Amino acid sequence: MALLEVKNLTVEFGSEDKPFRAVDSVSYSVDRGEVLGIVGESGSGKSVSSLAVMGLIDFPGRVTADALTFDGQDLLRMPSKRRRQITGKDIAMIFQDPMSALNPCFTVEAQIMEALKVHEGGNKKQRRERTLDLLDQVGIPDPKSRMTAYPHQLSGGMSQRIVIAMAIACNPRLLIADEPTTALDVTIQAQIIDLLLKLQEDSDMGLLLITHDLALVSEAANRIQVMYAGQLFESGPADSIFAAPRHPYTQALLEALPERSEGHDRLRTIPGVVPGQYDRPAGCLLAPRCRYANESCVNARPEVSDFNGRDVRCFYPLNDQGQPTGLPTGETV
Amino acid sequence: MSFLDTKPGVPLLESDDLVRHYDVNRGFGKPGATVKALDGVSFTLEAQKTLAVVGESGCGKSTLGRQLTLIEQPSSGELKINGNKVGNLSDKEAKQFRRTVQMIFQNPYGSLNPRKKVGQILAEPVLLNMENLGRKEREERVRATMAKVGLRPEFYQRYPHMFSGGQRQRIAIARALILEPKVIVADEPVSALDVSVQAQVLNLMMDLQKEMNVAYVFISHDLSVVRHIADDVMVMYLGRVAEKGPTEEIFAKPLHPYTRALLASAPKIDPTQRVKSEPLTGELPSPINPPSGCAFHKRCPFATEECAKVRPELRNFEGREVACHRVEEIA
Amino acid sequence: MSENFTPSAVPASNAAEAIEPVAAPPSPLRETWDYFKKNRGAYAGLIIIAIIMFLAITAQWIAPYDPIIQDRSAFLKPPAWMEGGSWEYLLGTDAVGRDILSRLIHGAQLSVSIGLAVVAISMASGIFLGMLAGYFRGWIEVSIMRMMDIMLALPSLIMAMAIVAILGPGLENAMLAIAIVQLPHYVRLTRASVVSELNKEYVIASQVAGAGHIRQMFVNILPNCMAPLIVQGTLGISSAILDAAALGFLGLGAQPPLPEWGTMLAEAREFVGSAWWVITFPGLCILVTVLAFNLMGDGLRDALDPKMKR
Repeated sequence: MALLEVKNLTVEFGSEDKPFRAVDSVSYSVDRGEVLGIVGESGSGKSVSSLAVMGLIDFPGRVTADALTFDGQDLLRMPSKRRRQITGKDIAMIFQDPMSALNPCFTVEAQIMEALKVHEGGNKKQRRERTLDLLDQVGIPDPKSRMTAYPHQLSGGMSQRIVIAMAIACNPRLLIADEPTTALDVTIQAQIIDLLLKLQEDSDMGLLLITHDLALVSEAANRIQVMYAGQLFESGPADSIFAAPRHPYTQALLEALPERSEGHDRLRTIPGVVPGQYDRPAGCLLAPRCRYANESCVNARPEVSDFNGRDVRCFYPLNDQGQPTGLPTGETV
Repeated sequence: MSFLDTKPGVPLLESDDLVRHYDVNRGFGKPGATVKALDGVSFTLEAQKTLAVVGESGCGKSTLGRQLTLIEQPSSGELKINGNKVGNLSDKEAKQFRRTVQMIFQNPYGSLNPRKKVGQILAEPVLLNMENLGRKEREERVRATMAKVGLRPEFYQRYPHMFSGGQRQRIAIARALILEPKVIVADEPVSALDVSVQAQVLNLMMDLQKEMNVAYVFISHDLSVVRHIADDVMVMYLGRVAEKGPTEEIFAKPLHPYTRALLASAPKIDPTQRVKSEPLTGELPSPINPPSGCAFHKRCPFATEECAKVRPELRNFEGREVACHRVEEIA
Repeated sequence: MSENFTPSAVPASNAAEAIEPVAAPPSPLRETWDYFKKNRGAYAGLIIIAIIMFLAITAQWIAPYDPIIQDRSAFLKPPAWMEGGSWEYLLGTDAVGRDILSRLIHGAQLSVSIGLAVVAISMASGIFLGMLAGYFRGWIEVSIMRMMDIMLALPSLIMAMAIVAILGPGLENAMLAIAIVQLPHYVRLTRASVVSELNKEYVIASQVAGAGHIRQMFVNILPNCMAPLIVQGTLGISSAILDAAALGFLGLGAQPPLPEWGTMLAEAREFVGSAWWVITFPGLCILVTVLAFNLMGDGLRDALDPKMKR
């Protein structure tokens, strides 16, 4: 059984009669010792879906799901007190901006020990030793002297290490990392990703890595999900999803990357922008921007279906040559 | 003299040993300190070329951009445009300068005045620097520039908050272009944008370069974008140039250990392009208290005693300029 | 990718690429109004203010009597619904036989103009000083802000009294005194917003475009600082009315027979026990007006502050 099982998760905001679906029937699962990457542009709902898992969607947002289970326990229907015990201890989360994730009024030591006190107990001395341990584990040089530092005295990379130390303080079984390196420089990003993957491997954690960076997720994750405008568009193993994309959106994203272009040519672009709250198309959400879209794409929304062992939400998934299959006969886009 | 007159054999933009130091007050009773944000940077930029300035936060790349556009006056060093020194400018010279050098900012959400309509934002540079134009000609020029960057005419009367990030960046590009400058300093122009929109904006910038013959100083931390758009690359570390040379050569064979580390740290989609190496250890040093000798020596796997003592100067090596004592051995 | 997939979506020109559907979100004014309307207290405040404004503007025509005409046959007549009252004088008369309702309606005119004039004077000079302090920093900022700190260190009513004592009692001088007392609030507020706006990229962008100091200050920066100032101005009207009433009560503001609410209170002091209406109605007027402005100011603050929005 998977560690985290999400089935048809939907998050809605706004009024009951005209809701805005930030996340629309998204399903995924994360196993022990697995790294699942969720990648998408801004407005794709990748962060909102993970907040929903953590139970951090406040009123007026509405969270519904056919199943939202952690280790077989139903997170949606359990008492909120029990749920808070799980999120925070067994499921931990780290955010994009380490500076705002730390309370500027308290020392590093006080903040980590607080997390330990709530979930682990133990006396002060044990907690202090554990804190030292943790700082050592996340690769902070000279942890003793950093214990008494305040967040503003630390660099971005150091702060993110502290945040990670707080997240793993209670030995979580699942770690959700929401854009953990976006605020950091490249060389520091490499350090932090290496650290996360090492911690994940050592303790056999599940890791849910949310990012907008295709290259980062392709290097770090085992499986990848591509999201767009709140929907899951494609999911599959990391080594094949970008080598042979099945969904036109994944294909177009890859072609838009400067890394993929030869020389100084123009990049292939995706025209238009991600639809917002007011301009959701009636059919496939990508239809106005998709180069293969035809009439049926404009009129009807495709469901997620299996195509060559990959989950794809498209009427005409792409074959190995990057061409759509199953088009009505005689039609060549 | 005029900044606008080109002379054969003279580069369009030349920076000679540009320095910018900031004095910081460290509180009561403590001695003040100096931050060497920019510590002697020289380069030349030819017309219609793109020079990319690459580095991590604190390396001085944005400070360089602020000196090049005269947002701040450099502490020392010289800036020359078409061979003319940019010093204390008279009113008339300042106008000429602005018609030669313009800037695009990183954050399209912060760089457009939220209380001004698009038409007013774009008209401001014209209003201030081309007084001979009347109201009508001004509006024509704004509309023509809007068409050039792909903004629809009805956007003229709209406020910036009605636009997406990509369209805002188009507005910002239009504002930089409206005076038809020869140099545009672009400070991380696409780093706030999504991948698909980033491609649109990069295409636009490259098209406009051909169409309007501008040269770019392209400040960025994203190596794949730089590789795509730049002719030359200048890698900076802690206010100084680490390596400078043609883009393809630098990406094919980085010489400076820092350039190597930078290239190796950037994640890549294509598994065959990944360089497996130990990530760089340590943090970026503070520019208030930079390490002695080579600023990079504490993180450098090749560092020797000499590196800790003597600061390496930029020197020619294999047709490039590298600031490293051990470049011969490493290469 | 095969050639027959060079699709229509790959653009030939920039213009084609940029055609993005722009979902028009509501305009800022519209949005602010929508949020404002949701706040019932603020909406009620707005309606009360509208009524008071209407009364103030049309006082000459709708007040049943001249506010200073004395009816020697009707001293201290109680309101109409009480024993001994008559429908001739709806809210009764005061000690010298003047119609209280008429005096209150004309008083509205005085109070509203006091409020508006005071806020106009202190806001205009406050914005100017605050802008100088925030924009130029350095010794200009230090001298302006220390001056304001000194003014804030004195209790406001005592300072207003001191200023009136120097200038001499009277409505105009009282207004000037209150404007001076309110000044530091506007200066500090303007300076704070200017300092935070100054670091934004659009200001630097305009500098690169060649905007001079005056243009930067008043064309580019000022419109972005107005939201908190409008709120402070609304609240300032109510405190100006209150301070004017206090000065009037102390005999330093409007002089009799002007029907200013505070002055009316002062004149009616000795009748507190015997004729409650003489003192209650002006007091109620002050209360309601000040409350209305405060409610509206709070509503405006919520509506103009993007952080309060969901």
